[in-house]
Formats: sequence, C-alpha cells, structure tokens
Amino acid sequence: MKTKNSENYTKWQKSFEQETKIDLSEASSDTDEGIKIKPVYTKADIENLSFVDNDSLPGQLPYTRGPKASMYTNRPWTIRQYAGFSTAEESNEFYKKNLKSGQKGLSVAFDLPTHRGYDSDDDLVMGDVGKAGVAIDTVEDMKILFNDIPLDQMSVSMTMNGAVLPVLSSFVVAGEEQNVNKNLLSGTIQNDILKEFMVRNTYIYPPDPSMKIVADIIEFTSKEMPKFNSISISGYHMQEAGADNVLELAYTLADGMEYVRAALSKGLDIDDFAPRLSFFFAIGTDFFMEIAKLRAARTLWYKIMKDFGAKNEKSMILRTHCQTSGVSLTEKDPYNNIIRTSYEALSAILGGTQSLHTNSFDEAIALPTDESARIARNTQLILQNETGVTNTVDPLAGSYFIESLTDELSKKAWEIIEEIESLGGMTKAVKAGVPKLKIEESATKKQAKVDSGSRVVVGVNKFKNPKEPQVDVRVIDNNKVRDDQIKKINDIKASRDQKAVDESLAKLVSAAKEDSNLLACSIDAIKNRATVGEVSKALEQVYGRHFATSLSVSGVYGKHFEGDKNYMNVAKKVNTFEEENGRRPRVLIVKMGQDGHDRGAKIVATSFADMGFDVDMGPLFQSPKDVAKDAIENDVHAIGVSTLAAGHKTLVPELMKSLKKIDPNSKIVVFVGGVIPEQDYDFLYENNISAIFGPGSNIIESAETVIDLISDKIHKNN
Amino acid sequence: MQLVEKIVKGERAAIAKAITLVESSKENDKKESRRLISELLNKPGKSIRIGFSGPPGVGKSTFIESFGRYLVEKNYKLGILAIDPSSQITGGSILGDKTRMIEISKNPNTFIRSTPSRGSLGGISLGTREASIILDAAGYDFIFIETVGVGQSETMATNLVDIFSLIVGPGSGDELQGIKKGITEYADIFIVNKNDGDLKSEASKTASDYKSAISYYKKSSDVAEKEVLLVSAIEQTGMEKVIETIQNIVTQNKKNKNFDERRAKQFTYWIEEEVREIIQFSIQNKIKEDGSISKFSQKVMNGEIQMFDAIEAITQNLQNK
Repeated sequence: MKTKNSENYTKWQKSFEQETKIDLSEASSDTDEGIKIKPVYTKADIENLSFVDNDSLPGQLPYTRGPKASMYTNRPWTIRQYAGFSTAEESNEFYKKNLKSGQKGLSVAFDLPTHRGYDSDDDLVMGDVGKAGVAIDTVEDMKILFNDIPLDQMSVSMTMNGAVLPVLSSFVVAGEEQNVNKNLLSGTIQNDILKEFMVRNTYIYPPDPSMKIVADIIEFTSKEMPKFNSISISGYHMQEAGADNVLELAYTLADGMEYVRAALSKGLDIDDFAPRLSFFFAIGTDFFMEIAKLRAARTLWYKIMKDFGAKNEKSMILRTHCQTSGVSLTEKDPYNNIIRTSYEALSAILGGTQSLHTNSFDEAIALPTDESARIARNTQLILQNETGVTNTVDPLAGSYFIESLTDELSKKAWEIIEEIESLGGMTKAVKAGVPKLKIEESATKKQAKVDSGSRVVVGVNKFKNPKEPQVDVRVIDNNKVRDDQIKKINDIKASRDQKAVDESLAKLVSAAKEDSNLLACSIDAIKNRATVGEVSKALEQVYGRHFATSLSVSGVYGKHFEGDKNYMNVAKKVNTFEEENGRRPRVLIVKMGQDGHDRGAKIVATSFADMGFDVDMGPLFQSPKDVAKDAIENDVHAIGVSTLAAGHKTLVPELMKSLKKIDPNSKIVVFVGGVIPEQDYDFLYENNISAIFGPGSNIIESAETVIDLISDKIHKNN
Repeated sequence: MQLVEKIVKGERAAIAKAITLVESSKENDKKESRRLISELLNKPGKSIRIGFSGPPGVGKSTFIESFGRYLVEKNYKLGILAIDPSSQITGGSILGDKTRMIEISKNPNTFIRSTPSRGSLGGISLGTREASIILDAAGYDFIFIETVGVGQSETMATNLVDIFSLIVGPGSGDELQGIKKGITEYADIFIVNKNDGDLKSEASKTASDYKSAISYYKKSSDVAEKEVLLVSAIEQTGMEKVIETIQNIVTQNKKNKNFDERRAKQFTYWIEEEVREIIQFSIQNKIKEDGSISKFSQKVMNGEIQMFDAIEAITQNLQNK
C-alpha cells in the first residue's frame, strides 16, 4: 500500500541521490560506537522502539526525558567547577573567590599521593605532591581547605576513590570541628573503585577488599549522613581513557549494578541507599550522541533498578554530574578549546544533566589559571542566562533522530551489560581485565583515526594555526609545596597523643580482620590526628597493595594504516634498522610516580609495536631508579616517558641521573610525551631530553622522529 | 677482552650489552659473540638454571615474582630471561613481563631481561643459552628461563636448563591425558599455582591428578624423583617447598653424576646445532646460486622427468659442488 509518507520518502531519496551522487545505502556515517548515522530520520524510525517510550513525560518513567518534571525551568543545573591547587590554603582562597562569582557547589581535586594513600613525606611520591590537586595529609589540611566555608550550607563533591576512608573521615571530622554534625553534611564522594581498575589506576587495595570499603561507605552514609551521596558512579574517566559512548554507558551502569549488589550484601534495603547513588559522565564532541547517551542512561537505570526490586521512585532515577571532555582539548591552537567546551556543555544541558563542570581551555597543558577558569565558568553562565535553553524541558524530545539514537545506544549498551553480567558481574570482569582491554582497543582505534586524518581535529591535523599563540600557564613549585606539607606533618606528629593514634589504628586493623564497618574506626583515627598515609598503611597490612597486571592489544592501530605512505615508511625504516643493527629498535615506555593515566602510554606502546618496534612496558608507579635499571638491563635504545600529572620537572632529571649512575656511558635516547607546558621545554632539553611530544602529536611522525634519533646516536658513536 | 672483565665483575650495563651481542642477527656480531662465549666458558660460575614453562594464564610471571622475592630475601642473586612472543604480522613485540614482576625488578640482586621470541623454533629465542652463560659468569646463583606455552618443554629441558618445571593451574588435570607423555618425560617439577581462595580444593585435586600421572612413568633409580608442588603466587605460599625441592634435586643429581651428564649432553646438542646451522647456511647459499631447483621443477611440471628422480639429480648436483 502506498502511503503519502512512503511516496514522500521515495521522492526525497531520489533527490538526495541526485544531489550527492551517492547511493543512499552507502551514505551513512559510522560512529566510534559502530552505529550507522543515516542522512535522514523519519517517523518510521521511532516506531517500535525497544527501550524508549514516546509517550512519557519529564519526571515520569522511564525518565528518558529527565529526572524532574520541571527541570531547568524551575532551577537551572548546578555549576560545579572541579578544582584543587597544591595546598589547602591556596585552594581555599580559590573556592571562596569562585563562590563569590556565582558558583554554587564545590568540587575538590586531590593530588596523586593523597589518592594513593601516601603522605607527602613518603619517598615514593616526591614528584607528585601538590601536582594535580591539593595535598591532604591530616584533618588539619582539610580544615584549612574549608576555612570560612560553612559545611552545613555548602555541597562538596570530592573526587576520591583509593583513599576514600581517611579522606571522607577527614571531611567528617573537619565538619565536626566546625560544629556541623555529620547528618547535615551534603555533597558527594566519588567512591567508585571499579573504574579505577579499568582506567585511572588510583586504587590502593585489591578489588575484593576495595569493594568491601565501597559497601561500608554506602552503609555508613545511608544511616548517618542522609544528605550525602555515597558514590558517584563514573563513566567520565572511561571516555577520557578512550572508551566510546556505548562502552562508557554500559560499563558505568554495570559498575552501578555491582555497587547495588555490594550494598544489598550488607543487608541494606535497596530503597534506603539507592536514592543517594549518583552518576558522572563525560561529554565529548559527538554532539547528538552525547545527548542520547544521557537520555539512554536514565532509561536503562530505571529498568535496572526496577529489576532489582526498588519500590521508591527516587531509587530508579538516575541523577548525574557531567564534565566536558578533557581529552578533546588540544595543546595546539588552545583557544579552540573554549569553543569545543561550549558545544560539549550544550550537549550536556540538552541531555538533561543535574550539574556540570566546564573545562578551562588550558587544561591540556596545565592546571587552569584564574583567567581561564573564569572563562570556563562563564561558558555556563552564558548558557543559563543568555541562550534560553532553560525555558523548555528536554527540547529535543520527539526528534526522530534523537529518539532513535537514544534507543539504539540503549540496545547496544544493554548487550554489553548482559555480557558483563554473564561473566559474574563487574568485579569478576575487572579481575579478568576484560573492560580495560576493550577500552584500550577503542582508544587505539580513535587515535589511529586522528593520526590517519580520517577524523579531523581542527588545529591539529587540519586547519593548523600558522602562528601558535603563547598561553600563560600556572606554575607550581613542587618542592616548596612538599617541604611545607612535611613540616605540617612533623608538627602534628610531635603534638598529637601518640598512644591514642596507635590504639585507634590497631582498632582499625582488627575491624578489617573482623570484617566490620571501617568508616567509623577510620573517623576515630583521623580525629586523633592519624595521617591519611597511616590509615591507608594500617589497612594495607590486612589487604595488601594491589598491583595491576597489564594486558595489551596489538594490531588495532596498524589496521587503520594499511597502505598508508608514512606508516609504511616507518615500518621500512625499522626493517633497515634491523638489518644494520642486528635487532629491532627497542623502546621502553614508562610512567613514573603516582600518575596512573596510562592510556597514552598504552597507545604509544601498541602502535610502535605495530610499526615493528620492540616495546618494553614498564609497570605503573615506577621510580626513576627502577626505570633506569629496567632500561639498562634490557639494553633499550630509547626510553619514552609518559607524563600527565605535571611530575616531569622532578622525575625526568632524576631518571637521567639514575641512568648515568648505573652506566656513565649510557647512550639511551630519552623522549617525553604527554601534558607538558611549553615553558618547560627548555628545562627538559637542558636535561638532555631528545624530543618532547605534546597532546595531539601524530604517533607515526613521533615514531619516525624516535627511530631517527636512535640511528643518529648510533652513528655518532661509531 | 674488557667486556669479559666487566661481566665477571657483574656490571649491569656490560651484561646487558653482552646479551644484546649474543642475540644479534648480524654476521659480525655473531663472530664476536662466539669469541665472547668461549672466553666466558673458561670462567664458569655456580648458577643453577631453571626453566619455567606453562600455558598462558596460569600465572607464570606472577609465580616468578613471588618465588623470586623469596629468593632475593634470602640474598640469592637471581637472573631472569623471559621470552615474550613477537607479533607474527609486524615482527614487533610488546614485552610486558616486567609489569608482573614489580617487586623483584626493583631489587639490586636481580637482572631481568625480556627477549622477543622472533618466532624462532620452540619459542626459545636465539641467544638464550648464551645469555645464561653470561649471567652464570656474572655470578648469579639462579637463572630462570621463562617461556610461553608448553610446546617447547623438550627443547628447553634438553638444551638449556638443569631443572625444568611446568607451572599449571587448578583444573588442568583433565588436559593431562593429551600431553601426558611429553610433560612426564621432561618436567622435573610440576608446580600447581593458584592454591588459594575458592580454587584451593580444585588445586589440590589437580595436584593429585599429576601425582598419579607421573607414577605411571617408569622411574630410573639413579635420577631424582619428579615432584608435584602446590603454591599460591599471590599469597606467596609454598615457596620454601619449591626451593627445597630444587636443592634436593640438584644435590641428588650431582651425587649420582646426573647433573654433569645432563650438562655434557647439552653441550653435545649445542655443538651439533652449531654445526647444523653452519652447514645449513652454506647449503642455503649453494641452493641460491645453483638454481637447479627451479630448473628441475619446471621439468617435473612438463612431465619430462619424475619428481623423485629430479630430487636425486638436484642433491647429486649440490653435493658435487
């Protein structure tokens, strides 16, 4: 039967094919998620959807259109900027300034030693103190952090997963000592350890005891801290590590299911804790996909929680914080990042987020300056006050494209969730390393698309700025921060009641052995002025420290370059090198210090191996001394240091020293990649670094540079 | 030779460079390598060489980390030669073994070298034997040789090591039927890993499967008995038993001369291998120059001559050259 619709469609198809000279069946674009985006969507695309209900309204199940009926028309999303600067004093100043200029909630970034449960005076962390956030060693630091900020009125979000116990305890005690009872504290602690095992690597203990700690915190807060979100189930870091949107969505929800099970195993009623579960997603540059992702997330979570037997409506509603994508920021032509961030922010808003962090444009290079942070915040203020996006709830509902995309994303994510469930849930999947490997595979594919030019990044692989602008960045004197922190620790250790500290730590250890709730004991220890490091080490006695084993993908990168001229050129150089030198060029890729972001290192390793290099992978968290021993024993030609947490100024010179110490004649070429401000380039070159590759460097070109540097060095020696 | 002195002194960089030399595929390096090895053979150390093999996923590297930690705590010097598979497509490889040997790789009493397998025969890479001679001269007490898969048990046991151990996981007893002969013949020690947590009962069941399997093997009275051991690499349990077993086997085999005989046999193998390689090399060159293979193949295709007559003619031809 010929309807008017199908007649119109046939007519349209004809015009389309005439205009484009492309057969319609060939005209779809493929996304990273493996979804085919068609040139046009029609009513037919939203009939028979599997997950989306076309008739539902905002605040109604399955909550696709938003958790609340009124959404931004009643109250706009919360502008919540994540920040932390080296010391509690500095961060406190910064927070107070921001609160004055219209920010509503606080979000604390901690430095890596704090994340990993080390005090600032620990030798293992010398390059990391105060680098990527604020250093917290004792409750005194926490008190300074919130000086003059009334904790009964301010919602505080803390990005903390590894050392959750001492850090949350410090927050509770800081509140108490401000005369705020813990039942009045509001905010969120990230407390999402599963994704740490997949991507970010700031865990301390093995997966099983780590899950117990998560459950302890959910249990304690559900009873004692009713206004506090016990967990922020985060996909953000997965996308940052290279996961596509389906993987991010599926793994985040699968993590959520695992946390629900952990809490249920404590004997809690699902409706007692589920309303306090919150989520955190990344918003990248794929505009419509990101909108669909947030809508799909709510839709699926409703289904999941209903299946768990939740009765309270609030248990079934997914509330989320979002942050614009850090990995989409480029070092090249950095003002473009303001524009990228604006579009990403708009995606998050159209997707219906509850709060939002917009990145500063200089974050591909360093921690933001006051000026860049202001621009980032204004991005949201302009959206709220000038564009009219708050006037209508879920304005894209009913769009054939958006509704169909939401449903398709839901379907794809559901398949992956079922796969994880069939492995026995996320803890088991994480132990087997499955999600980590999938994310790395996806990351490598994305990188290959950029390097081969099949994906355009403005200012990086196309439309390059002939005159790169100079940007002022924030500089941190790491040694000074560390010295100050050490002095504070020593003062506290000298003045505290040591017997009380020892006793409370001993109690904590026995609580861990007896499997009782750890948060209460940890609060006591912190109150007695035990340090973050001491609390973490006490539990380490029982649980041990976790060391990740790493699996690697291979062949994924190379596949995108079959027949590519530059790629073949490098592969040829590698073969010539082998003929001349009796072995392939051998490169050790390392991470040093407490910086666990290993996406870049992994991509470089697998793509170099695909080009024919022999690539040694170092373990995470190595000291410069360990790296030197490893490099020399394996007689590598070059070491590539991946650094994303600003530790390079301390750790790289230390590495050069260690190399010379073992082998005074060492001819090893050292190159550095990652987030390095241009101001530091000269410093690194003075320390005999041969090459520096910033974010957005083309890997094939980098590989060619490296093999040329190695060959040069060999020829010079002969 | 300066390099020899440095190796004997135990200088890390010198040992590393020497291993690079013996692994090199360059003709010049090979000559130099032979000279180096002959000198080092005059300065033998006291190392015991132990081979570790086992299917992927049983925790070989984790076991080595755990056992190695136990040994270095007792002040032994430990050299590890780990062989990683190379990619078949590109020839490159990712050498990730050290990500599972975190603690021991930091220890000053260890030397850990990963080597890409280069798709060489049996997974044992070229130069492994020479590398173990270098580490021996450098004063390492134990030399571990780790390979992937069980396929190279024979090569390893007969060519390279004093003791060959197979690491297996719980539940692997069922696979025993298929590979029984090879392993019972070549392995001196069977290490059943993952004797921890939920897997404990499965692990001890597997251990008894192995025990009964080796009991069928006719044991000659003068060779040390094969042992099956239960360990947990992650909990670091059972390690005393492993070292005790190794030491017992060594003592017993030394007493009854088995130890030296095995090493003597390995030398014979080595010489045979070198001779074969040299002949093969020269034959290959002859074949390349001669061109009679393609000439005769054409004739066989055309039906002018029978295949086996052609082969004989070609061989005759080459031998006369």
